[in-house]
Amino acid sequence: MESLSDTKWDVVISGTGLQHSLLALALSRSDKKILHVDHNEYYGGAEAAFSLQEVDEWHPDSSTGTFQNVTLWKDDADTSSQSNKLSFSRAYTLTLSPQIIYTKSKLLGQLVSSKVYRQLEFQAVGNWWIYNGEGPPLLKRLPNGREDIFRDQGIDNRAKRSLMKFLKFVVDFENQPELWEADSECSLQDFLSSRFQLPPHLQSIITALTLSLDTPGRTIVKWALPRISRHLTSIGVFGPGFGAVIPKWGGGAEIAQVACRAGAVGGGVYVLGTGVTNAVDDRDKERWRIELSNGETVGTKHYIPHSGSANGSNSRMVSKTIAVVSSTLSSLFVNSTEGSPLAAVSVVVFPSGTLHLEEATQDCPVYVMVHSSETGECPAGQCVLYATTLYSATSKPILDAALSSLIKSTECSDARLLYTLYYDQQEDISSPCDLAFDDRILENVEEQWKEAMGSEGADGSSLFMQFEERRGINPDDDNDDDY
Amino acid sequence: MASDESLPTLKILMIGPSGAGKSALLIRYCDDQFDNEYSTATIGVDFKLKKLSVHGKPYRLNLLDTAGQERFRTLSNSYYRGAHGVILVYDISNRDSFAAMERWFEEAETNAMPGAVMYLVGSKLDKTAARQVSADEGQRLAEKHGCSFCEVSAKTRENVRKPFVDIVNAIVKDPKLLSAGSRRGGTVAVGGEGEGWGSGCAC
Ligand SMILES: Nc1nc2c(ncn2[C@@H]2O[C@H](COP(=O)(O)OP(=O)(O)O)[C@@H](O)[C@H]2O)c(=O)[nH]1
Ligand SMILES: [Mg+2]
Repeated sequence: MESLSDTKWDVVISGTGLQHSLLALALSRSDKKILHVDHNEYYGGAEAAFSLQEVDEWHPDSSTGTFQNVTLWKDDADTSSQSNKLSFSRAYTLTLSPQIIYTKSKLLGQLVSSKVYRQLEFQAVGNWWIYNGEGPPLLKRLPNGREDIFRDQGIDNRAKRSLMKFLKFVVDFENQPELWEADSECSLQDFLSSRFQLPPHLQSIITALTLSLDTPGRTIVKWALPRISRHLTSIGVFGPGFGAVIPKWGGGAEIAQVACRAGAVGGGVYVLGTGVTNAVDDRDKERWRIELSNGETVGTKHYIPHSGSANGSNSRMVSKTIAVVSSTLSSLFVNSTEGSPLAAVSVVVFPSGTLHLEEATQDCPVYVMVHSSETGECPAGQCVLYATTLYSATSKPILDAALSSLIKSTECSDARLLYTLYYDQQEDISSPCDLAFDDRILENVEEQWKEAMGSEGADGSSLFMQFEERRGINPDDDNDDDY
Repeated sequence: MASDESLPTLKILMIGPSGAGKSALLIRYCDDQFDNEYSTATIGVDFKLKKLSVHGKPYRLNLLDTAGQERFRTLSNSYYRGAHGVILVYDISNRDSFAAMERWFEEAETNAMPGAVMYLVGSKLDKTAARQVSADEGQRLAEKHGCSFCEVSAKTRENVRKPFVDIVNAIVKDPKLLSAGSRRGGTVAVGGEGEGWGSGCAC
């Protein structure tokens, strides 16, 4: 078989994380010769998904430092019931990328216009819950739209009017700069209380919608308003009662794989377990010389490196715990809106200071994405929790506290932790630490696509992510039983 | 009359080593074409749709090719999602391709959904003089994995329909498998089939 170095490549892409895979998709209908490699043996990079055995074999590359302090715990209690114990390795698809995708995100439009959405199955992110630490009840469902607010007995009429006033403003904040620009660097909380007289518990609810990982004091107006607006305007786009979706079988990991297949269908060559060890820009020949870890050297016009950490000071670190629970936690998934699809994900928010620990104070909020077995990530009768908070010396006990408080407050007596995987994750330019898909990734992809496409991209003869259906249909049917 | 869209769809995958004849078999079956040159047939083929009736009942076959991702064994888990059947192809004139089949069975068995039907095919039956794997060996390997077996030639058309008809027959006998592949009530349609999204709006 011919070797990789026999081909004059147009583009070599290193890494199959979500951003790099979307680039492969974007280039999949060009005539470019594309070599797509990943030093990992699996697809997805920082957005991969694993079976239990793959987690055991996961030794995050310490040189890039994206993942650190990986800590695994398994329940070894002997129980009789099936759902009460860990199933076989492949019954799980634990994802490093459980980001929700708002229905307003351009990603969905691009997955549709590039036609790969047919290989994906999207599921609704249903209820959002907020934990108040005092109760009862400990968990309160966030109102899902205006009618829900009107019906809410827990909000007095004055607060309701203030809230409605704010909601009306925020979905149109761009056209009303006079109402917020002067306060753009202020904290959202102060803004909500001084400008809209919202009481503290409503401030927490509004803040929760931003999915901010920061303390309330550092969650500022100009950052928060577009996110709140996105949340509210996304509800109802694809059906009643939800504003975000996730792809079945591991979220971003599944998109990355489907995008890479599109790259392969377009003629791209895929090699895993093979990284780039050295890349030399040979300016005279306008080509790159790329040395691969399998010993081969290839030449290419364009080279897309595996991206490094985001620039120093802005680069954040988050802590995450993935947990398998021996219960469906069905109370979190009750259908609250008529006609809405069965939700596969619920979001539980623990605002700053709502978790009480002896050894630590919880300065930053904790978010737990609860994935039902409908996501294909665990067997029926169980669910997977994805807990995230900003990194600190005490983030592990804080995440543990969030998980146990969550389980307790659902009052599901059969619920126990069966498995937890803790890790710290450094933010990366192509893998931002955001609990919702960040559309800036698409801007990066389009930038890289333009560069690789040269004049074809610029003169409009090729449109970004706009592809015809590949024709799989053929006229003759096969209509009888014997051959 | 039922439109094609509403027919029950069966997803069937082709796997096996590079050069085994997967694409040639698929294209012979679907388009009744055969290209003797080493073709780039794989490129651009995402899937093929074909209507097949068994016992008078029509099904829509969604046949997926490997898109070359078998070359370095980089087929993704997502390729196997929801597949009702997997056709494993080796080349009877190439011992190595037969020797690789254990690993392909293993990959299919770990990734396909429980109960998915496997089917082993020895291809290039026309190359009698160059045969390196006997039909007996093929049969034994198939039995070991509890699946059916046949030999085909995409070139001469011999037996080309057999693996597809047989695998569909086996799949439709198992109602649990049939329903396992279908999408559940919770699926959100983001595509608005045929309208809106993507077609125009670049906003
Ligand atoms: N003689 C003969 N050659 C075949 C047959 N099927 C495929 N080939 C040839 O074998 C080579 C590889 O076939 P291809 O379908 O591309 O293999 P794939 O990599 O498994 O998709 C091509 O040159 C085909 O023309 C067959 O039935 N008979
Ligand atoms: Mg092929």
